[in-house]
Amino acid sequence: MSGGGLFLRAAAAARACRALAAFTTSQRSLRTSPRSRGFAKELFLGTIEKKEVFPFPEVDQEELNEINQFMGPVEKFFTEDVDSRKIDQEGEIPKETLEKLKSLGLFGMQVPEEYGGLGLSNTMYARLGEIIALDTSITVTLAAHQSIGLKGIIIAGNEEQKTKYLPRLASGEHIAAFCLTEPASGSDAASIRTRATLSEDKKHYILNGSKIWITNGGLADIFTVFAKTQIVDSNNLIKDKITAFIVERNFGGVTNGKPEDKLGVRGSNTCEVHFENTKVPVENVLGEVGGGFKVAMNILNSGRFSMGSSVAGMLKKLIEMTAEYACTRKQFNKNLSEFGLIQEKFALMAQKAYVMESMAYLTAGLLDRPGLPDCSVEAAIVKVFSSEAAWQCVSEALQILGGLGYMRDYPYERLLRDARILLIFEGTNEILRMYIALTGLQHAGRVLTSRINEIKQGNVSTIVETVGRRLRDSLSRTVDLGLTGKLGVVHPSLEDSANKLEENVYYFGRTVETLLLRFGKTIVEEQMVMKRVANILINLYSMTAVLSRASRSIRIGLRNHDHEVLLANIFCVEAYHQNLFTLSQLDKYSPENLDEKIKKVAQQVLEKRTYICAHPLDRTS
Amino acid sequence: MSWVQAILLARGLSRGWGGICGPTLTGAPFSQVASQVLRGLHCSAATHSSHSDSSLVPDPPELSRRPIKALVPHEELFGQAPSGERDKASFVQAVQNFRQHSVRKRGHVDFIYLALRKMRQYGVERDLAVYNMLLDIFPKEVFRPRSIIQHIFVHYPRQQECGVAVLEQMENHGVMPNKETEFLLIQIFGRKSYPMLKFLRMKLWFSRFKNINPFPVPRDLPQDPVDLAKLGLRHMEPDLSARVTVYQMPLSKDSTGAADPTQPHIVGIQSPDQQAALACHNPARPIFVEGPFSLWLQDKCVYYHILRADLLAPEEREVEEIPEEWNLYYPMQLDLDYGRSSWDDYEFDIEEVEEGPVFAMCMAGAHDQATLAKWIQGLQETNPALARIPVVFRLAGSTGELLAASPGLEEPPPPPPAQGQEEEDDNLQRRQQQGQS
Repeated sequence: MSGGGLFLRAAAAARACRALAAFTTSQRSLRTSPRSRGFAKELFLGTIEKKEVFPFPEVDQEELNEINQFMGPVEKFFTEDVDSRKIDQEGEIPKETLEKLKSLGLFGMQVPEEYGGLGLSNTMYARLGEIIALDTSITVTLAAHQSIGLKGIIIAGNEEQKTKYLPRLASGEHIAAFCLTEPASGSDAASIRTRATLSEDKKHYILNGSKIWITNGGLADIFTVFAKTQIVDSNNLIKDKITAFIVERNFGGVTNGKPEDKLGVRGSNTCEVHFENTKVPVENVLGEVGGGFKVAMNILNSGRFSMGSSVAGMLKKLIEMTAEYACTRKQFNKNLSEFGLIQEKFALMAQKAYVMESMAYLTAGLLDRPGLPDCSVEAAIVKVFSSEAAWQCVSEALQILGGLGYMRDYPYERLLRDARILLIFEGTNEILRMYIALTGLQHAGRVLTSRINEIKQGNVSTIVETVGRRLRDSLSRTVDLGLTGKLGVVHPSLEDSANKLEENVYYFGRTVETLLLRFGKTIVEEQMVMKRVANILINLYSMTAVLSRASRSIRIGLRNHDHEVLLANIFCVEAYHQNLFTLSQLDKYSPENLDEKIKKVAQQVLEKRTYICAHPLDRTS
Repeated sequence: MSWVQAILLARGLSRGWGGICGPTLTGAPFSQVASQVLRGLHCSAATHSSHSDSSLVPDPPELSRRPIKALVPHEELFGQAPSGERDKASFVQAVQNFRQHSVRKRGHVDFIYLALRKMRQYGVERDLAVYNMLLDIFPKEVFRPRSIIQHIFVHYPRQQECGVAVLEQMENHGVMPNKETEFLLIQIFGRKSYPMLKFLRMKLWFSRFKNINPFPVPRDLPQDPVDLAKLGLRHMEPDLSARVTVYQMPLSKDSTGAADPTQPHIVGIQSPDQQAALACHNPARPIFVEGPFSLWLQDKCVYYHILRADLLAPEEREVEEIPEEWNLYYPMQLDLDYGRSSWDDYEFDIEEVEEGPVFAMCMAGAHDQATLAKWIQGLQETNPALARIPVVFRLAGSTGELLAASPGLEEPPPPPPAQGQEEEDDNLQRRQQQGQS
């Protein structure tokens, strides 16, 4: 029955798309389902759900005052009392710093107030994250504690578990850690070796196994542990499934190795954690027995959006520091700031910071809507964009500083080292790109099923319609998805950029349809195609966020909104051209599409496991 | 008669070749004679076929004709080395003796042919300097054509052919001529001569063919049979993670008795994938030790055995299904009911003959069941599953082996089955037909 419903809905949506594509009729017909399906996913169909993202989400004055009040002491503490250099050199956060963080309540930012936390909304959490990001080791420690460590209890815990654990976690009396990664299991859940077996009295699980690279592993008292358990499924078959457990250190048998020596974020505690015959009471199962996979996925998906604001906070500080240098350092009787190539770098940093800030707060706003909005794709986009921008900007900053940036006496090399992990943890960017692309393609694929089937079966009217549309598209069709114009949501000074976004979105939708037609479900194997799809989507979402924010800034007259317009326009034009290029790469027969050759090179290198070209000085005679 | 034929043939050919040889031949009308025909003219009837490699060097005719071995001219020069050793120094000495002995270089063509035949015995067949030295024996400037008539007809064909033979032998041994060779050839035969043409072709094609083999074998193979086996196994195994294990080191009764080792060497190779496949093998199905199969490495032939199973029937194969909860980060499959379109299906329709899986390979000093059983025992240490799987020995006995050493090869192939062993092998074979371990 529900399948039938879905089918009807999909068919209706497909029809709606067609109507839109042909005549650009009113947006109302798009609203085929009462519940929103997420902004980013709809982009795959070539439509902009503008009601979701326009206007830019705001917080009310009261909440804003509250957070500003709260931020004062936190900021003071971070600028005055935290010595990041010392933390980095000594490889740990001093006790007193941790105590102070606890007393500020930063260990329970997102724990609901009834359990003793601050109960911050996602937006407020993001705002606070900007300040905390002034020290990366503290950021990572806190994130491991509350973004993933205790998140499981908030998401999947029952009332008793919440009342038992959350208050002490929120106060920082207990620190949490998230134990998923194993030597043989990164993102592959099937290869988890840690095992929990039910004891004979059925009151305990006996937990055995090792977890590696556990942030806070040496400090934590409460662990969220994922282990294989045997369960009997509906067909009476015994199966191994993953279950999540809340494990206290004092359950016994919990040991940890010495802290790992890392490239960056050296102040955070990362180590191996071993469980040996640890007795975990059955009431400490998080969620359902055998339901650990979903718990893990939800925790991981929920934690990502905050990286955007954290990196933005770090970048803003970086811009301050490098600008100070560039405006005082003189070469050839000129300040560095007068050289075009240096100016370019500052523009880049400002632009990246602006974009990721816009995206981070837009996503936080989307997450703060009532209900349980699914913004995992958006959050993944924020993570990918901000981590890559962080790496790029820190590297450019080092370039501005020249040799000085390379010296250990200055904080820049530490920032560079710290920024590197952002591309790796919480799901590597490669994996997240697959997630972004596949989630969207799955959505688009379902909606377009009937249409694609009709084309494949040779339904004449559908084919004629498709061909006709392609013809119209090729005759330089102007796309209007209703962002601009009389009733438009984008300010006229951003009109050009908005039109570019619309054009990109429309042709992206067409390309997605073509890709689905070409590959169907086997697109899972086409990773290079999916990477490009994800890249376009990242650009589209960031363009939308920037346009939405800049429009709001102009309309309410924020300070320096003309600067925002500049940044928004620069970014949109650049992203537009990137998108055009990527779209052409996705075209099967375009000269830009080098996938086959790239694959061949990789195969030849990997077959020999070495660089196989002869040395340029080699001779045959 | 044959002269006329040769020239007629050559004229026709030269037209075709002119394009290939480019600037070197454009100058004068230059007739070419197919070397096959020339050889017919100058050497005694074709006795080359007995020679192992297709060299242009004529065999001493006496060998095939007369039972009594007559002395080949200049043969004595090669026996003069005081120590009796055959190495480069004594070869060079012989050549120098010839030059001193006949200042006018009488009979130099015969001597060069003789020297070419002797080169392998002295181990200098890959030495460019020696070839240059041989070419240097030719008197300079004498054979260069000076008039147009000389250009048209082959000038000093016997000498030119001898020069070509030197180059041919270089080619057979993969020796690339250098500038000195070129200089000598120009001095001796002039720019437009057959040896020079041969030289240019070698220059052109050698450089192109030098690296044509995607699976190169080192020129100097290890003498130790264990090392040779390791090399051969690595050569066959595409998986670079595969591990070579020496299951048994060779032990001989006496130091020289490589021919009859009491304990033959056993060297095996297995990749992690093969190990995993063997671990999953259904113990109800037997696996087979098959062999010996031959493998040529340069001029050596080695034999190997494989451990393999029969291909599973299509209906018995387990379909590998994607576990439901596998990837924590992104879906491993899309829930769509349509797949790849036919116009994006790059798979060609290839009729593939599937073969059963090969689990391991080995090279052993002996090919009998006892030795190979030791290999299987050794394999069991790393593949515990092997203990439960029946192993059937399907050995071809000595039939798969190369019995006679190839002529011109000094040492026999590593496992020479002794005469007396053949019967034994037959018995063994009979036993093996029913035999299972």
